[in-house]
Amino acid sequence: MLVSGAALLLACASFIAYDLVSFRQATIYNLSIQAQIAGSNAVSALLFDDQSSAEKTLSALQVSPNIISAGILALDGKPFAAYSRDNSGRTPELPRLATGQSETYRFSGGTVVLVRSIVFQGKSTGTIYIQSGLEALYSRLRLYAGISAIVLAVSLLVALLISPIFQREIAGPIVQLAEIAQLVSRDKNYSVRAAPADSCDEVSVLVGAFNGMLSQIQERERALQKAHDELEQRVQERTTELDNTNKELEAFSYSVSHDLRAPLRAIDGFSQALLEDYSEKLDSSGQDHLQRVRLAAQRMSSLIDDLLNLSRVTRSEMRREKLDLSAVVRSIAEELQRGTPSRKVTFVIADGLKVEGDSRLLRVAIENLLGNAWKYTSSHDSARIEFGLHQPNGRPAYFIRDDGAGFDPLYSNRLFGAFQRLHSMAEFPGTGIGLATVQRIIRRHGGDIWAEGAVEKGATFYFTL
Amino acid sequence: MKRFPNDKCSLNVSYARVRSRRCMFSALLVLFLLYPSNLPAQQTKASEYEIKATYLYNFGRFVQWSASAVAVKGDSFPICVFGQDPFGSILDSTLSGESIGGKTVVAKRVSKPQEALDCRILYISASEDSRLKEILTGLDKAGVLTVSDIPQFSQRGGMIQFVLVGNKIRFEVNLTSAQDAGLTLSSDLLKVAVAVRKSPQPGD
Repeated sequence: MLVSGAALLLACASFIAYDLVSFRQATIYNLSIQAQIAGSNAVSALLFDDQSSAEKTLSALQVSPNIISAGILALDGKPFAAYSRDNSGRTPELPRLATGQSETYRFSGGTVVLVRSIVFQGKSTGTIYIQSGLEALYSRLRLYAGISAIVLAVSLLVALLISPIFQREIAGPIVQLAEIAQLVSRDKNYSVRAAPADSCDEVSVLVGAFNGMLSQIQERERALQKAHDELEQRVQERTTELDNTNKELEAFSYSVSHDLRAPLRAIDGFSQALLEDYSEKLDSSGQDHLQRVRLAAQRMSSLIDDLLNLSRVTRSEMRREKLDLSAVVRSIAEELQRGTPSRKVTFVIADGLKVEGDSRLLRVAIENLLGNAWKYTSSHDSARIEFGLHQPNGRPAYFIRDDGAGFDPLYSNRLFGAFQRLHSMAEFPGTGIGLATVQRIIRRHGGDIWAEGAVEKGATFYFTL
Repeated sequence: MKRFPNDKCSLNVSYARVRSRRCMFSALLVLFLLYPSNLPAQQTKASEYEIKATYLYNFGRFVQWSASAVAVKGDSFPICVFGQDPFGSILDSTLSGESIGGKTVVAKRVSKPQEALDCRILYISASEDSRLKEILTGLDKAGVLTVSDIPQFSQRGGMIQFVLVGNKIRFEVNLTSAQDAGLTLSSDLLKVAVAVRKSPQPGD
């Protein structure tokens, strides 16, 4: 209401203003014409110094009711003839004509004064001025203001009367729709519907479409829920399957370890007994054979242990927690050093690298990696093992680097295979399970592991988590 | 030139043979003349002949020459003085640089009617009073606007006669003489004339 009232007022005001301006201009134009006529009629009076003729000319202006006074000035600016409506003989203050200007006017104090130079046959002969009152203008202004006020009042009244109808028919249903939309998106309750409009217009179409949309959304919700439930069920089934499988595997490996180890213990034990009890009956070749038997049995035993380890690693539950990887690396490094204090190894360990993961599994992984680094640098007098964060661009990767025996990059695809070894037993001991285990652990953390290296130039293992 | 004292009653009535309308008109003039009461009898701002010279020029701006009247004229606009020249250099200085209707105004002195034939405006000096009729006859139909101070000039067939009304230099007009010569005098000029004659009074 306020807005429309203001707009109406503005429109009225602009019309009035425009009209007043053009009326003003018309007034000036009129005055100018009258001045020109009177001026040209007074030329001869000016030239021949006939004041009474000039005054007679001016007195003709009395037919114009708005003209208050008029006058003619000679070339030297002195008054030559005058006319005033009320015969008061008062001369108004005249605006000055600039050089080259033939006419000027000034509005002041409810009157307008027009000054024009009288030119006859190209020569300036004198000046004429006319002063006119502005009553016509003011009465027009009052009239317009009155009309505007009435029009404004009537329009606003009519608007006031029509507005409830408008509200009921159009604004009401739309507001209701807006409220329901808000309600639906806030509570996610798609079962509400807008009240259908009983009219057959755009509003009812809108309401119908809105309700249709809600029904569709509701349907989708239902379908989604159903799919979700089905998925849940399937997952549940798979998990149970997996649990069962795991249990079977657990039982299997337990029995394997148990059952396989027993004969191995026997082999090893009895071989040992033979060596100890019958050493004088055996020659060196025989003893050597027995040693080999023992070694083989021991090796098989450790192989079984490692395999069991590997399988356990993949089956055990992962618990994610915050963990200081640098600390883990440092403690394992210290252990290794303590194990063989004679070795000269420099550890360069980056500080404060924190990760999230299973502490047990990660420890196993680090043990394997550092253990490898330790093992493969044993052939050198001094070694350097590094741990740190490598961040070329984007994803950060941790690395463990050694300057030991390294490996031929041609065989890098075999590095992480189970039981794959790139060096012979004579060079470096080991089962070939370690890296496979590490890879399983890193993969379970959602990360990746890869290696770079060269023969006798060391190896670097990178992994992400 | 006769001068009259600044006496409101005897002024106009005895000087010009005016009709009743003009009498009232002149009376009004007198009233206006009383306003600047400290004005001396003579016009001090400009001398008499300066004003008359200016008027001679201005007369030319309110007169139209008919085709036949223009036929005998040249490319300039000569304003001439016949007889003893009362203007002197005033006329030349007043007229210098002026033009009427695109024609340059020049001042000339003549002593014979034949010499005056191509003048546009001719001022006949008082010295020619006795020869007036002869001069006017010689200028008959020549399209020359005759102006003079000679007494009863307009009655005697002249076209414009200077008269002194109070302190102001005014003029009478003989319209018929002008029309006969093929000259049309503008109504603007006539309305500021003290008197406008329509038919020649019997001269002397």
